Amino acid sequence: MNKQKSEMSRANIFSAIKAAAPTTSMDVNTIQNEALEILGESEFARPALLAEDAAEALTLRIEAGLVIGTSCEKIASLDQLPDSVNQFLAKYALPAELKVQEIERLKALNWQGITTEVDIKNDNTVGLCWAEYGIAETGTFVVHSGPDMPILLNFLPLYLLAVIPKSKILPYMDDYALIAGEIARKGGTPRNMCLISGVSGTTDIEGVLIQGAHGPEVLHIVIIEDQ
Amino acid sequence: MQANKPENFYQNVKDALAQPDLKMIIRRTTDKAEAKRAEAIANFPGFENARKQGQKVKDHTIKYMDHYLAEFEKNALAQGTIIHWASTAEEASKIVLDICRQHEAKKVTRSKSMLGEEIGLSHALDNSGIERVETDLAEHIIQLAGDPPSHIVWPAMHRSREDVIKLFREYHKDPTYSEEIIDLVRSARRDLRTKFLTADIGISGSNFLLADSGSSCTVTNEGNAELTITPPKVHIVTAGIEKLVPSMAHAVPLLRLLTRSATGGEITQYITFHNGPKRQNDADGPEECHIVLVDNGRTKMLADGMEEMLRCIRCGACMNHCVVYKHIGGHAYGSVYPGPMGSVLTPHLNSLEVANKQTHACTLNGRCEEVCPVNIPLPKLLRSLRAQSWDKKYEPLTNRFVVKAFAALAKRPKLFQLVSSCGVIFMRLCSRQGWIKSMPLAGGWTRNRDLIEPESKTFMQQYKAMKKAKSDGA
Repeated sequence: MNKQKSEMSRANIFSAIKAAAPTTSMDVNTIQNEALEILGESEFARPALLAEDAAEALTLRIEAGLVIGTSCEKIASLDQLPDSVNQFLAKYALPAELKVQEIERLKALNWQGITTEVDIKNDNTVGLCWAEYGIAETGTFVVHSGPDMPILLNFLPLYLLAVIPKSKILPYMDDYALIAGEIARKGGTPRNMCLISGVSGTTDIEGVLIQGAHGPEVLHIVIIEDQ
Repeated sequence: MQANKPENFYQNVKDALAQPDLKMIIRRTTDKAEAKRAEAIANFPGFENARKQGQKVKDHTIKYMDHYLAEFEKNALAQGTIIHWASTAEEASKIVLDICRQHEAKKVTRSKSMLGEEIGLSHALDNSGIERVETDLAEHIIQLAGDPPSHIVWPAMHRSREDVIKLFREYHKDPTYSEEIIDLVRSARRDLRTKFLTADIGISGSNFLLADSGSSCTVTNEGNAELTITPPKVHIVTAGIEKLVPSMAHAVPLLRLLTRSATGGEITQYITFHNGPKRQNDADGPEECHIVLVDNGRTKMLADGMEEMLRCIRCGACMNHCVVYKHIGGHAYGSVYPGPMGSVLTPHLNSLEVANKQTHACTLNGRCEEVCPVNIPLPKLLRSLRAQSWDKKYEPLTNRFVVKAFAALAKRPKLFQLVSSCGVIFMRLCSRQGWIKSMPLAGGWTRNRDLIEPESKTFMQQYKAMKKAKSDGA
């Protein structure tokens, strides 16, 4: 019954659109070319980056305080990450507990006595994740859902560290969108693609910005230079 | 607070203007939004190009809407999404409720969606006995207060900190007794966290639908959409068919425009693309994903030559800059969509007969069109709705009489000049010390502010005198 009703509404919607615009061409190539032409304008319709090099531009953006609640640092190689994490925990006087994303390259690091078994459903936890990409334009890190990337790891902890390989930092959102388009064409789109640019914030009470509305209050980006 | 009805617009306005603090409360948010938007745009020299590009993206998608709808459906189905179509608000609401019932849902979480409000989903869920949890902080506040939203970006802007303190103390399990805003936000965080993790179904709207991948997209600063959608077993998206864009690359220019125009930020903290149910072995995510595609007057807008309105990306800039909205606030409009965009949308979602008065709540100063990120000619659309309302005889008899009398006078210059000079004399008789505090037939104006005393001569009398003085001088 519901399915029939939905089918009927579908037919009505399509026929109403056709009736409203009867002369529209339905040649797919024409439509695709028009759509591509619009994208050609992006070059003149986006903000300037703070530096020519994408990783540098991302760092400058965060250091200028333009990414809410976010700090960043560069480390030469991945094996320095536990040191960075320890400094972060010490800075915020946090216990040596950290939920590390369960991927081999992170698990294999020497965590120097940091407990990595943490239930992020509890509040006040610290999470660490590996980003697929960075975006300089917006100070963003991108995560894709998957067997070893629980989306909630980015949303439940109060403190979050995100690791971005330097080679994966893209200049503009458009650059990431082209990659996402390629993934879609190959049929490999993950359930979620999250573009995260700062911490969970709200201005809903008297316009005052508060960090840590539901998710992280503090975000620290670690850029790994040799990756 | 009971929701106002659009047909009672004049009474709603009277009530709003009688609230002593309302204007101050509205301006606290809208003035800040206005200043921050101006700053964001000053820092983005390519903004005008971005506007043109954004408009082209929307116009292109609207032009080929049936093509892109079919593409979206095909690709979303391939992701494992279940697609539903709804011609009306009632149908859309019923589809969502039926899915909830099928899954015997007891608790649903919702992230803010104007379309959800438009289709009356809050009421439908409440009436069905399912526990509805609004997760956007502002929506959480107005849910506790029982208010309708008063702005499309800041739905609780009409509520003060004192109101929030009272509400949270009354309804939160572990409330704060501090009056600091940070502690109030933490109180909501504690209260909502367990609800996020125990909901049976998560319901969201969608800022964009990507045709080439069948994705929906949520845009928030709080991150509540992902927390709403990820833990429950079922995710339901409700979206208007005009949310389509060809691809993520086409959504990017609109994302650049949306945040700057809405809050003056450069980007929201969270932009997430949702693509069907969780994949096999995924660490988390819903097992079932439904998208309800809603028409509810949109194809009628296409047929009625109002397709420019379908460009709207719901940033709220038009209301933040509207002199009328800033005086009367969102509730007076009696619709989910207030301000200039609402005055154009509501007649299509409801009916022009019911919502024609809102089309006159506009000085035609053009600010809304100036700030619209996708160049919607709102004043032109409002004028066209006024003309339709006149043709269909929806205007009150007094308005019709006054307009006809004016038309009759305007066609007879001598009589017009006579009547206007009598008018000037009459107004000056009502004036005291340069101001008119009350005057017959002008109560609508003088109830809330004084009217300035006019010059002693009409414009034409002054013009003629000036011309004569010039020729005498020559």
